[in-house]
Amino acid sequence: MTGSVAAERVAAARRVASPARRRRRGGAPYLVYLVPSIALFAAVIALPFGMNTYTSFTSWTGTGPMRWAGLANYRQLVHDSEFWASIWHSVLLVAAMAIVPAILGLLVAAALFDVIAKRFGQRIASVLRACIYLPQVLPIIVAAIVWGWILDAQNGALNGLLRDAGLGFLAHDLLGDPKTALLTVMAVLVWFQLGYPVVIFMAALQRADPQLAEAAEIDGASWWQRLWRITVPQIRPEIYVVLLTCTVASLRVFGWIFALTNGGPGTATQVPSYYSFQSFFTNLEVGYGSAIATVMTVIIICVSAVFLWAQRRNEAS
Amino acid sequence: MHRKKARIAFIAAATAAVAALAACSSGGNGGGGTTSSSKVLKVWWYEGPGSAYQIAWDQAISDFKKTHPGVTVQFSLKTFNQMQQSASLILNSSNVPDVMEYNKGDATTGLLSKQGLLTDLTPEVAKYGWDKLLSPSLQVTAKYDSRGVMGSGNWYGVSDYAEYLTVYYNKAMFAKYNIPVPTTFAQFTAAMDKFVKAGITPLANAGNDYAAQQYLYELELSKATPTDISNYERYTGPVDFHNAAWTYATSTFQSWIQKGYIAKNSVGLTATQMGNDFETQKNPMMVSGSWWFGTFESEIKNFQWGTFLWPGNALNAGSGGNLFVVPKNAANKALAYDFINDTLRPDVESALANHGAVPVSTSTSGVTGAQNIQLIQNFQTLASSNGLAYYPDWPTPSFYNTLLAQTQDLMNGASAGSVLGTLQTTYDQYTSSLRS
Repeated sequence: MTGSVAAERVAAARRVASPARRRRRGGAPYLVYLVPSIALFAAVIALPFGMNTYTSFTSWTGTGPMRWAGLANYRQLVHDSEFWASIWHSVLLVAAMAIVPAILGLLVAAALFDVIAKRFGQRIASVLRACIYLPQVLPIIVAAIVWGWILDAQNGALNGLLRDAGLGFLAHDLLGDPKTALLTVMAVLVWFQLGYPVVIFMAALQRADPQLAEAAEIDGASWWQRLWRITVPQIRPEIYVVLLTCTVASLRVFGWIFALTNGGPGTATQVPSYYSFQSFFTNLEVGYGSAIATVMTVIIICVSAVFLWAQRRNEAS
Repeated sequence: MHRKKARIAFIAAATAAVAALAACSSGGNGGGGTTSSSKVLKVWWYEGPGSAYQIAWDQAISDFKKTHPGVTVQFSLKTFNQMQQSASLILNSSNVPDVMEYNKGDATTGLLSKQGLLTDLTPEVAKYGWDKLLSPSLQVTAKYDSRGVMGSGNWYGVSDYAEYLTVYYNKAMFAKYNIPVPTTFAQFTAAMDKFVKAGITPLANAGNDYAAQQYLYELELSKATPTDISNYERYTGPVDFHNAAWTYATSTFQSWIQKGYIAKNSVGLTATQMGNDFETQKNPMMVSGSWWFGTFESEIKNFQWGTFLWPGNALNAGSGGNLFVVPKNAANKALAYDFINDTLRPDVESALANHGAVPVSTSTSGVTGAQNIQLIQNFQTLASSNGLAYYPDWPTPSFYNTLLAQTQDLMNGASAGSVLGTLQTTYDQYTSSLRS
């Protein structure tokens, strides 16, 4: 009797467990497909980040044994005026690489989509879009070197043109003057970055419902009102994506500074990624360079999280 | 049938694995045994194709092959950045070259020697007599003490060339304005005044590169003593950046900007742009390293040019050239020593001299061209009078960047006091870390 009750319970338990087990067995195969991604993430991102974080707690020249330094590098960062200057420059570069290109990109995309394409044809609009996007395709170092030639204070094309046009009084050592160096870099970055939001926003405009804009036009809405009240709300997800990716790119900017100014004159164009590189490779303060990189990674993660949270909240509402 | 195939595959795989392991063990044999690797000499350097160094060292390889039939020389062209950024990884591995070029100085060869990554060449120096070929002033950058500080201790590298700062001048422009080649500092400034009056900026400069800090250093050297230089470069005594020499250098450098000797709008220029300014006759003079000599020799075709030493200085920036070092884990050290010895042969030294470099040899026999001979003789004037004062950025690894930023600030009107204060702080931070 006891045995049969027990057997019945086991059988019942099996009956109850089997659907769940079937679900687990059914779910297991797709996990296998995550393995390559997880392995890549671990090898390319997690492991180097872990190593970099560990190095940031050491004093190391890049050769020989590491010496544990605790929080010394981070304490030094807090009191390092060059680091804080570089952070401030990064904030300004967010304007040059994210905010200004996003605003200009929206206007240019809307103009190409609404005006150029309608009046001159889709082909002309596509050619113009490709031209605006071209800087994005150029290798950064190549583009930066060419800009360096153009902006060369003595023999550069810009000052040469100004002199030839009788505007020699406007010729200036734009990259050599600390008052103008960062603004000049920002202007170059706007040129470089503009094509990206234009392409994204033009794609977004394709999916926006034209009937809404037409209805608004019939109701007497101006082009500006239609753009701001009808189009922008429809392409908000793309605006978030552009702002997020451009902000992250601006916080990581390196090649332009490396090739154009070396962070100078003085520290007028210093940015965290270049400062980290200098500390790591040329100053042989590997621990300090790692600390800068770690702090920047944390900042970028926080900025991304805020953007994603804002985007989700917007989508939910 | 299926099982048989699997067994064959297993045996084949096992055989391949054993063969691979055997190959690995013979390839990774350190210490220079009699395996096949002992017939290969691995040489790395980072001097570009067409340079005097590459031409001369190719000659050394050729000489080496003649005296070592059966030995294969495997040469790899690297970049300095590549070497600097991964030196520890490379030199800690078993896949190291037998002999390689590396930058002289505390932050480079000194650091590697301190970490035990380089072979002590002192016994070989005596054996091959390299100490007799390199003058005492050139030996400074070859020797490093246990702290990795140059100038004393064991030999960790050998250089077959030297370098120094010199004044390149445009003979045609000097003749046009009837300006004699200056031999005193007063004549030098008088010459610059004449050019300024004619609307010409006399000195080519690059604020965004090493040039500006070298001007500053030459001015400092005009008032410095050998003891000051030893203290500054080798930490043998206290260094005061607010002393008369540094104060004079910063104030004079700024006054030269104001007087128009150096263009204010050269703050953002690079060394390449500075060289172009000299080559295009925008500036009649350029003060820079002897490493420009070969470039000018091959690129300037439309005017005559020459060199003279910075007038009035007993001390002048300069040193032995980059070193050939032998990694601790090198497989064939004996071959490496023979190769280093070949780089010091007369035919290699002549190749260096005839392509615009400064050989360590004091002899100018076999050297063609009056300019080449002048370059070598000027160097020997400095070396024989203990006038080599190394370079301003050597004392700390970060000093190049610090000096670059500070000279840019100086050109943009920053106060000399704040610039010297920053130099003092950076210098003191590093030297105190050496003591801890």
